[in-house]
Amino acid sequence: MRGPTIGPPPPAAPPARPASGPAGAATAADPVLLLRRLRKGFKGHLGLGHRQALESLDLELRRGECFGLLGPNGAGKTTTLKLVIGLLRPDAGEVRLFGRSPADARTRARIGYLPENPYFYDHLTAEEFLDFYGRLRGLAAAERRTRSARALRRVGLEGRGRVALRKLSKGTIQRVGLAQAIQHDPELLILDEPMSGLDPIGRREVRDLILEFRAAGGTVLFSSHILQDAEMICDRVAILDRGCLRSAGRLDELVSSRIEGYEVTLRSAHPATLPGTVVARDGEHCLVRVADLQELGRLLAAATEERGEVTSIWPKRRTLEDLFLREIGRPPEERR
Amino acid sequence: MTAARRGAVALALVAAVGVAAVSGARLSRLVAERPGEELLYLPNGEQLRILSLGHASLLADAIYLWAIQYYSNYEGADRGRYVEHVFRGVITELDPHYIDAYWLGALILIVEFGEIDAGLGLLDKGIERNPERWILPYLAAWESHHAGRFAQAEGYFRRAAALPDAPPVVRRAQAGMRTKAGDLDGALALWRQIADDPRSDAGSVAVARRQLAQLDARLELERLERAVERFRAEHGRHPGGLGELGTVAGVRLAGGSYAYDAKTGKITRRSARRVVAGD
Amino acid sequence: MSGEVAAPPSPLAAIRAIALNTFREAIRDRILYLLLAFALGVIAVSRLLSLLTVGSEEKIIKDVGLSAISLFGVLTTVFVGTSLVFKEVERRTIYTLLANPVARWQFIGGKFAGLLAVLALNLGLMSAVLGAVLLLRDESPWPLVPAIALILVELAVIAAFALLFSSLTNPILAALGTFAVYVAGHLSWSLRLLADKVGSGLGAVLCEGLYRVLPNFDYLDLKASAVHGLPRPPGLVPAAAAYGLAYAFVVLVVACFAFQRRDFK
Repeated sequence: MRGPTIGPPPPAAPPARPASGPAGAATAADPVLLLRRLRKGFKGHLGLGHRQALESLDLELRRGECFGLLGPNGAGKTTTLKLVIGLLRPDAGEVRLFGRSPADARTRARIGYLPENPYFYDHLTAEEFLDFYGRLRGLAAAERRTRSARALRRVGLEGRGRVALRKLSKGTIQRVGLAQAIQHDPELLILDEPMSGLDPIGRREVRDLILEFRAAGGTVLFSSHILQDAEMICDRVAILDRGCLRSAGRLDELVSSRIEGYEVTLRSAHPATLPGTVVARDGEHCLVRVADLQELGRLLAAATEERGEVTSIWPKRRTLEDLFLREIGRPPEERR
Repeated sequence: MTAARRGAVALALVAAVGVAAVSGARLSRLVAERPGEELLYLPNGEQLRILSLGHASLLADAIYLWAIQYYSNYEGADRGRYVEHVFRGVITELDPHYIDAYWLGALILIVEFGEIDAGLGLLDKGIERNPERWILPYLAAWESHHAGRFAQAEGYFRRAAALPDAPPVVRRAQAGMRTKAGDLDGALALWRQIADDPRSDAGSVAVARRQLAQLDARLELERLERAVERFRAEHGRHPGGLGELGTVAGVRLAGGSYAYDAKTGKITRRSARRVVAGD
Repeated sequence: MSGEVAAPPSPLAAIRAIALNTFREAIRDRILYLLLAFALGVIAVSRLLSLLTVGSEEKIIKDVGLSAISLFGVLTTVFVGTSLVFKEVERRTIYTLLANPVARWQFIGGKFAGLLAVLALNLGLMSAVLGAVLLLRDESPWPLVPAIALILVELAVIAAFALLFSSLTNPILAALGTFAVYVAGHLSWSLRLLADKVGSGLGAVLCEGLYRVLPNFDYLDLKASAVHGLPRPPGLVPAAAAYGLAYAFVVLVVACFAFQRRDFK
């Protein structure tokens, strides 16, 4: 599943990272990203009205982890990421990226960013575009060439560097976007909905790239409203809803693989008499939830007794989706 | 559409076309009768300069080209009314250094409409705004000359001649104009200046010398005539011969140069001179 | 994954990179070719026009040529310049661009440099055609060079305003604003006259104030003196150029400030 690595081959364990920047500015233990009481609101159209996009967000991102920022549309994920990059300025609170403000250009040299539904210059080819960005990153000509070629190869666009960007499909543009994000070997990748609009193969490739990046010692922060992707690759997640942080923590703590019950679909004449909880009905067909194996056994026995037909049995695990659905829609005052 | 309705539409169309044609013809006749009217609406140069947003010179060109076409067209009774406004008030206000406009405007005013003063006034304005150009006073001088205003012409020629790049003909014309204006002594002085000036070109010197000789001869003749008159006043009769005049101051009685008729007292020069062009 | 690979580029390198990209993008703008074709057409037509005149034909050609260069230069500046920043924001290419170690003022500077390069190229082409037309008539085009140079300075001032408005609002409003500045800049000398006529009071103060704030494009207009070959006071051209470039610089600084504080939603 892993493709060729970008830089030197990944060490066995993430290396202790050297202190970067002026002494005392950041050490290996410091979080890569720190959001403290971050607030951001927007004025409505023509200055009328007010929309609070973020209400006092606290977040910490540690080196080497893959962090998923989850939430429905309009939750404030994109706003958060833009505040991290410095495209927006917070109303209150602070953003510390590698210990500094994102307005500091040197800090931005260490990040790679891919916005949602990226669009790049029509008139350029992928190579020209990467060369342009390479210049903006202070790379010398020879370095630009090698790095751009490597980045295109890594995202599977080897040989297509000379095609004008306007002729490429959306999925290909997304790959070009990823290429520019990794071109300069950043320490932190910030991706806004990187999987959106991709077909399953594309999504898997992006997941592979993220995992590989993390394995090489990098940190990843990405936002998504697709939970399965997050489940597969994140170390920690945060769930945002309407500008509030609903839940945050390690994935394996929030979500368990323990079986918490079973969902059984069967056909029965007397569903009311069955053990377990009837969740849904459609004439004689019904969906019944049971808490454990014993109750399952009783349900199956009862069904057999009345010659009911069991169509399927699904083991239920507490998934991210459950967590998500539970947290979303809660009134704003309740916070985890 | 029924035949009747089609016919009605066709009839309406024909009627509309007819009305347009007739009224258009009427309008063009009306405009032609009062051609100056459209010029009434031409704002003055200062306002146009503001409107031109920095392209005043181009606007001057455009109006100039229009004026040429307009004044080349000899129809229209009242076209002379606003010539001065067009050239003096508009074109040369938009571009004070548009030499062609001063010259053409003056030409139209003087030649077409006989407005000598207006024409010269326009040229005066051009001279004022372009003091280093010799051509404008030169043209003004010739226009004055054509109008018989020799003294004025001489003044213009003098002005033109004073400019550093004026060609030699200007000074010669000035001297010639002095003669025509009757100031022979002044003309003599100027011709002498030209002849003696080391900067004068060979042609001018030659012309100056010829003119000096001519003027000398003329002045001499006048002195002889005055002497004859004085004799007659004194003695009650014409002298019998030029020798009787005795010593007349400054006159070289080169014998045979003059023919004297004792009966009428007229003196004429005898030697026939070839007239040289360019004098 | 060293993190030491990328570093902020030198300001000049950043501006150059953005300028180059801007130039390549603007060169493809079709409106450029439309305007250029018109300008060249006008210069060609001037030859015919000059046949209608009585007197100096070259004056007409020079007047038409210089005015065409100026006017089409302004139109190009407005149409290309006002969409420059707006396009990047609209298409969100600016998001990734500003995520780089590039300062926002370098972005504005690069856009300006790229736009100016396009304008200079345009100007050069039009001037070359005008020069050729004049040379074919045995008329020296060189006296026109200072006037054309100051036209470029005027375009630089207008381009700075175009960028300022483009970073604040949509292209239509930006174009209107820039045109307004163009008109006001050419009328500012008459504000002076108006102030004198009004005498004293609020009206005069207003006129005087506006006169000082608005650019005075009359200072940059050497067309008349170039066409007529009039003498100029020595040092006039450098002084005018300095005035124009300084003005453009101030406007660009304002644009950088406005851009610096901007949120990209």
